Amino acid sequence: MARFDQLENMYDLGLKPVMLRSLIRQYLPAENHPLNLNNSCFELPSLVSIVQTHRLLSELDSQSIDPKLINTWKSAVDDWLSCLLSLLSSDMSDKCWVGICLLGVTCQECSNQRFLSSYSIWLNKLLSHIQPPADSQLVKIASCTSLADLLTRLARFPEVKKDGNLLAGKLVQPVLKLLNEDNVEAVWEGAANLLYALIAFFPASIHHYYDKVQLMVAGTGRSFFGGWGVKVLEKEDIGVMAYFLGCLNVEAAIASKILSGKYSTKTLKKLGYCLVLLPKAKGDKDSWSLMMQKFLISINDHLNEAFQGVEEEAKSDEARRLLVPPGKDLPLPLGGASFKGTSSERLPTATISTLMFCCCKMLTSSYPVQVTVPVRSMLALVERLLRVDGSLPHTMLPFMTSVQQELICSELPVLHAYSLELLIAIIKGMRRQLLPHSAYIVRVVTRYFKRCSLPELRIKLYSIIRMLLVSMGVGIAIYLAPDVIENASNDLNSLGGEDIETSPANTGPATGALPQLSNRKRKHGAKTGSLEEKQDAPSPKVRESNTHQMTPITVKMAALDTLEVLLTVGAASKSESWRSSIDSLLMKTAINSCKRGWGNLESNIFLPHESASVWADFQFSSLRALLASFLAPARTRPPYLSQGLELFRRGKQEAGMKLAQFCAYALFALEVLIHPRALPLDDFYSSCHNSTDGASNRFLENIYSGSQKQNTSFLSAMRRTEQGGVESLDDDLYDRWLQNENENQNENENIPVEDMKDQTSRPNDPSFTNVLEVREQEPAAANADVHMRTENEIVVQPWHLEESVPKSQGVASAKAVMSPAVGTNPEGSEIESKTPLSASDRLNDTNHDMFSCVDKVDGFDHVAGKTSSTLPNAEKGSSSMVHLASDSSMDSFPGIVDADPDTDADSD
Amino acid sequence: MNVVIASSSIDGGIGCWDLQTGAEQLRYKTCASPPHGLTSVGCRFLACSQLRDPSATSGHLLYWSWSKPQAQVKSFPAEPIKPLIANSDGTYIVGGGSSGDIYIWEVATGRLLKKWHAHYRAITCLVFSEDDSLLISGSEDGCVRVWSLFMIFDDVRRQQVSHLYEYSFTEHTLRVTDIVIGYGGGNAIIVSASEDRTCKVWSLSKGRLLRNVVFPSIIDAIAIDPGEHVFYAGSRDGKIYIAALNAESSPSNNYGLHIIGSLTDQSKPVTCLAYSAEGNLLLSGSEDGMIRVWDVKTQNITRMFRHSKGPVNNIVIVRLPYPLGRAESKSQPSSRKHELSLPPPLEKYANSSDEDMDNKAIVMLPDTIDLPSYLSSQLINDHIKQLQQQGSSAVAEMEAKRLKADCQRSKEMFQQLRKVYDNLQEFCVNELLDEQTMEGSKGN
Repeated sequence: MARFDQLENMYDLGLKPVMLRSLIRQYLPAENHPLNLNNSCFELPSLVSIVQTHRLLSELDSQSIDPKLINTWKSAVDDWLSCLLSLLSSDMSDKCWVGICLLGVTCQECSNQRFLSSYSIWLNKLLSHIQPPADSQLVKIASCTSLADLLTRLARFPEVKKDGNLLAGKLVQPVLKLLNEDNVEAVWEGAANLLYALIAFFPASIHHYYDKVQLMVAGTGRSFFGGWGVKVLEKEDIGVMAYFLGCLNVEAAIASKILSGKYSTKTLKKLGYCLVLLPKAKGDKDSWSLMMQKFLISINDHLNEAFQGVEEEAKSDEARRLLVPPGKDLPLPLGGASFKGTSSERLPTATISTLMFCCCKMLTSSYPVQVTVPVRSMLALVERLLRVDGSLPHTMLPFMTSVQQELICSELPVLHAYSLELLIAIIKGMRRQLLPHSAYIVRVVTRYFKRCSLPELRIKLYSIIRMLLVSMGVGIAIYLAPDVIENASNDLNSLGGEDIETSPANTGPATGALPQLSNRKRKHGAKTGSLEEKQDAPSPKVRESNTHQMTPITVKMAALDTLEVLLTVGAASKSESWRSSIDSLLMKTAINSCKRGWGNLESNIFLPHESASVWADFQFSSLRALLASFLAPARTRPPYLSQGLELFRRGKQEAGMKLAQFCAYALFALEVLIHPRALPLDDFYSSCHNSTDGASNRFLENIYSGSQKQNTSFLSAMRRTEQGGVESLDDDLYDRWLQNENENQNENENIPVEDMKDQTSRPNDPSFTNVLEVREQEPAAANADVHMRTENEIVVQPWHLEESVPKSQGVASAKAVMSPAVGTNPEGSEIESKTPLSASDRLNDTNHDMFSCVDKVDGFDHVAGKTSSTLPNAEKGSSSMVHLASDSSMDSFPGIVDADPDTDADSD
Repeated sequence: MNVVIASSSIDGGIGCWDLQTGAEQLRYKTCASPPHGLTSVGCRFLACSQLRDPSATSGHLLYWSWSKPQAQVKSFPAEPIKPLIANSDGTYIVGGGSSGDIYIWEVATGRLLKKWHAHYRAITCLVFSEDDSLLISGSEDGCVRVWSLFMIFDDVRRQQVSHLYEYSFTEHTLRVTDIVIGYGGGNAIIVSASEDRTCKVWSLSKGRLLRNVVFPSIIDAIAIDPGEHVFYAGSRDGKIYIAALNAESSPSNNYGLHIIGSLTDQSKPVTCLAYSAEGNLLLSGSEDGMIRVWDVKTQNITRMFRHSKGPVNNIVIVRLPYPLGRAESKSQPSSRKHELSLPPPLEKYANSSDEDMDNKAIVMLPDTIDLPSYLSSQLINDHIKQLQQQGSSAVAEMEAKRLKADCQRSKEMFQQLRKVYDNLQEFCVNELLDEQTMEGSKGN
C-alpha cells in the first residue's frame, strides 16, 4: 500500500498487483465464510472484466520492469490462485462454482510460464468435478467449460503436445460418462464444449477411443435428435453398447421412447458438430466418407418416414439407390442402431435438420486428406426435399388426413431452409469440381425459385445464385441471367413493406420523380417485351398470393446484391436483352431508396438483437448495385450516370459513415468512367518510340468541350491511330484527354477531325502520313470523303468565312438527316465504337490516311510559319476551317471540309 | 519460385530453369511434345501430350511429378491428343484430339467427363478464360470457338440448342496456330494467330472481330502484355513482332499497320512465347533449341537457356509455391499427401461401368481456420443471469443446497435456543418452587 503514492496513472504496472489483491479481498469469499449469492456472486462478471481489462494476471515479464514489482505481482497472482484452489476444493457447490469459473478465466489470462507450470494440476482439480461423486449441474458445466478453455490454451504450445494428448486422454472417459449418464440438457451442452475442444485440439487423445466415442455420441445424439417420433436408446443400453462394442445386438438395445423434444437446436448442433469432427481424429479418407454416408442414410430413413403420403414411393427408392449402390453392403447405421420407424404424430424435424446441419459441416470444415464426396446423392436429397411442398399426389389422396398434411406443411419451411443450407455447403465444399453437376443445381434452384415465396428462403436462394455466379464465372452467368433477372425484377418491383404510405398507384414501374426513366422503359419495352410485361403486369404465378405483394426489404436487398453480382460477373456477355431494363430498374430502386433521406446506421438500443439499420443496409445494397450497373461493361454509355453521380454526391455529404464512405468510393470508381485511360504496364513504350516525333508534335485541342457524353469505349479511345509518340506517362495521359474530347465531339457532332500536322517538325520523314478518323453512321458515304491520300505534304489552307458557310451547312444538313437515328437508336454508340476499327481496317491497305479535325484555334500549337500566318484570320472568323490535303490528291479530292455550324458559335 | 519449363518436338526432355537465377533444375526425361502440349496441373505436377507416329491410333500422355525425372503416369487416350491444358486449380485436364474432338478429364479420378466434337479438323490450341468457365479452341480448319463449360455439362440444354459453342469465329482462312486471352473476364479480348499470316483480335463479350493485323510472315506464337498495351507475335522469319492493342501505332513503320516494332536476334523461326509479368520478361523459344529471355523495356536479351538441338515448341512459366527439389521432400513434412502422389492415369473412354464414381467426386475440402475462443467468461455471465432469474433448475438446486445448510444452521440455533429456554424454565421453576417452599416454611 505504500507504493500507492508512487503510482503515475492507470497504466502504471505497480497498480496491477495492488488491484489484484483488493479484488481478492473484495470479491473472493474466504473459506470459512458463507458465500452470499446476492452480493459477491453477482459481481463476478465485473470482477472478470476488471481482470481482463487490466490484464491483472498477465505477469508481464521484461527487463524494464523492476524485479521487486515482478515479485509483488507474482505473489499476488499466487494468492489469487491459492484462493481459487481453496474455493475449488470447498464442499459448498456455490463456492466451488466460483472457483471453477475463475480458474477458467485464469487459464485464458495467465502468463505462459505460469500456465505451463501448473496446467496439469489445474486439469486434475477440474477433472475431479466432472467425475461421479456427483456435484451440482452448474459445477459440472463450469468444469467442462473451464477444461475446454484449458485445452484451448494448451493447444497453443506445440512443445507440450505429447503431454497434452496424454492428459486429454484422461478426460475422454469422464466426458462420455457425462454424456451418457446425465440427463440434463445443459450438462450435455457443457460436455459437448469439452468434447469439441478435445477433438479439435487433441485428436490423438480421442483416437484411441474413437469407435467408442462415435457410438456414444451418436447414441446420445440420436436420443437428442429423436425429437419426436424416434426410438431412442435407454441410458443403460448406451452404456452396454459402449462397453461391449461390436458384439452387441443393436436391435435389441433399442427401446422405444419418445422424447419430448425440448432440447434446443443449439445443443443439438453442438453435439452434431462433435460428431462431424470425429473422422478428423482418424484423419483418413474412409472414415470421412463412412460418416457422411451414415448421415445421409439416416436422413433418408427419417425422410421416408416423414414424407409418407406426400411423395411418390419411387422417390425414396431412388434416393436409396443413390446412397447405397446395388450390390454394396450397407454400412453400420449411425450410432450402431438401425432406424426403425414408428408412426408418430409429429415430424422428426429436429432430427433431420440436425443431421443436415452435420452434413453441411462435414463439407465446410477442413480435412487433412482428399475425400470422396457423394455429391449426387446429396443433390438428390436436396432436390427431394425441395420438391415436397405439402401438396398431395393423386394416388395418395385417400391415405392422408388433413391433420397430417397440416403437420407436414408447418414443418416444411424449416426443412427447406436446411436443404438450401446443404446446397450452399455443397457449393462451398466442391468449388470448381461442381462443374459436372452445375447444370443440375441450376435446374433445381430455378425450379424452386419459381415456387418459393417465403422471404427467408428467397434470401437463401439469392445467396446460392450469388455463390454460383461467383464460383462458376461468366460461363454460367450467360445461362443463369434470365432467371435472376425475372425474379429480381419481380421482387424489386413489388410493393415493399417500407412503402406503405405511398398509394399503390404510385408504385408502378414509372414514378413521377423520373419521367425520363419511364420514357426509356417504355421505349425498351418493345424490345425486351417479356421483361416489361412482367414488370407492368405481374405474372399470375408469382403474384397470386397477396402476401407476396409485400416483398420484405431483406428480400429486396438480396435481390439487389444478386443483381450486383450478375452485373459484375456476367454483364459483358450476351446481356443485350436485359441490360437496359436492369439499369433503369436499379436507378429507380436507388432513387426510391434514397428519396426519404438516409437510413440511420446506429442500432436501435430498444431492439435487442436485430440491428435497426435495415434501411441503411437497403440503401447500401441499392447504391452498390447501381455502381455495378455503371461500371459493368456495356455497349452504350450508362444512361443514368448523371442522376447516379448526383445521388452519390449527396450521399457522400449527408449520409452516415458507412454510406458516405461507399458513396465516396463510388465517385472515385466512376472517375475512370469519365476520364478513361488505358495505361501501359510499364513505360517500355517510350523506348520503342523515341524517334522523330518531338515534343513539338502537339495533338490538337478542339472546341467542343461542351459535349456531355462520356466516352466509355476504351477500345475506340485507344484504337484510333494518332500522331506523335508518347514521351512520358504524363504526356500520354494529357494526349488521351485531348483525344477523348475529340472523340466525344466526333460521336456527338459527327465531324471528321483534322489533325493539323505541321510539316516542318519532321521534314525528313517522307512517308509521314496522317490518319483520318471517321465516325459516322453511314460509313460508305463518309468514307468517300475521307479516304484521302496524302503523299508527303500537307497544306493548311485558311478558308474564308463566306466560303465555309455554305459548305458547313451542307454538312449540317447531311447530319441533320442522320441525327435522329443517333438519338433514337439505342445501339447507336455500339456502332460508334465499331467504326474506328472498321475505318482503320479499311485504311489498312493504303497506309496513307488522313486525319482531320476542326481545331480550336487558340489551343493550337503552331510551329510552322505557314499556318501561323493564317492564325489571325482564323481567329477573326468564328469558324476555323482548316483544310488538309496533299498536292497530289488535290485534283481528285477538291477538299475536305467538315464543320458544324452549331458548334462554331462555341469557338468564340 | 518462378520456373520456366520447356519441351521440344524431338526428345530432349522437359527443361526446367529458375527464371530469377537462371539455374537449370531437374530435366524431365523422354518427352516429345506437340505445340501447346505441355502444361502444369495446378502447380502440382507436369503433364504433356506426346507426339506419336501418324499410324498410332491412341494418344499418349505423360505425368511427371516435380521431384522425379522419370515420367510416372502414362495415359493412352482414344486418339492422339495435341494441345493440352489444365484449369488454374488443376481439377480438370482438357485435351484436343486430332479428329476435332475435345476431351475433359477429371484429374483426381482420371475419369473422362465429357467428349464432344468441336471442330472439323484437328484441334491446335486450347485456352481457358480467366475464371476457367469458358474454353477457347483453335483448329486446323481455321476456326476459333468459344465454349461455356457449363453448357458442355448440361445434358438437357445441349439437346435444345443448335450448336454448343458460344461463338464461332471463322475469319481465319488457314490453320490457327496460337490463341491468347487478355484480362477482364467476360469482357476480355482474344488474340489468335494463324498460318494465313494474320493475327486477329476478337471481343469475347461482343463475339466479333475487333482488329486484323497482317504480318510479313506466318505467326506461330503470341504473347500478350498484361497491360494489353501490345502483343508479341513470334514469326517464322525469326522476328518477334510487337503489335499494338491499346498502344498507338505509328503509321511510320516498316512492317504494316498496327505493328510497331520487332525484337530480333537473327534466330531461326520463333515457335513459342511466354510472358512473365514478374519483371516484364518475354520468353521466346526458337527452332534452334534456344530459349531467349527478353527484357521488354530495353528490348535486350537478358538470358538464354539452351534446351536441345531440336526446336523448342512449348514454354510454360510456373509459379511454384515452394522451391523445387529438396524442399518438397524434406522441409515439407506436413505437405499434404495428394501433392506427393500423382493421380491415376486418364481414362480412354467415358466409363459407365463404375457408375458409383459418377455420383461422387474426390475433393480437397477448403481449409478453414478456427480461431481459439475461450468460453469461461461468457459462461459466468450466463450462469449469473440464471442465478439472478432464479428460474433454472440448476440454480434451484444450488439454492436448495444453500437452504439446506441454512436449515441445518437454523435447526442448530433452534436447539440452542430450546436448550436456553429449557434451562431458563427449569431455573424459573426451581426458583418458584424454592420460593413457595420458603413461604410455606415461613407460613408454617
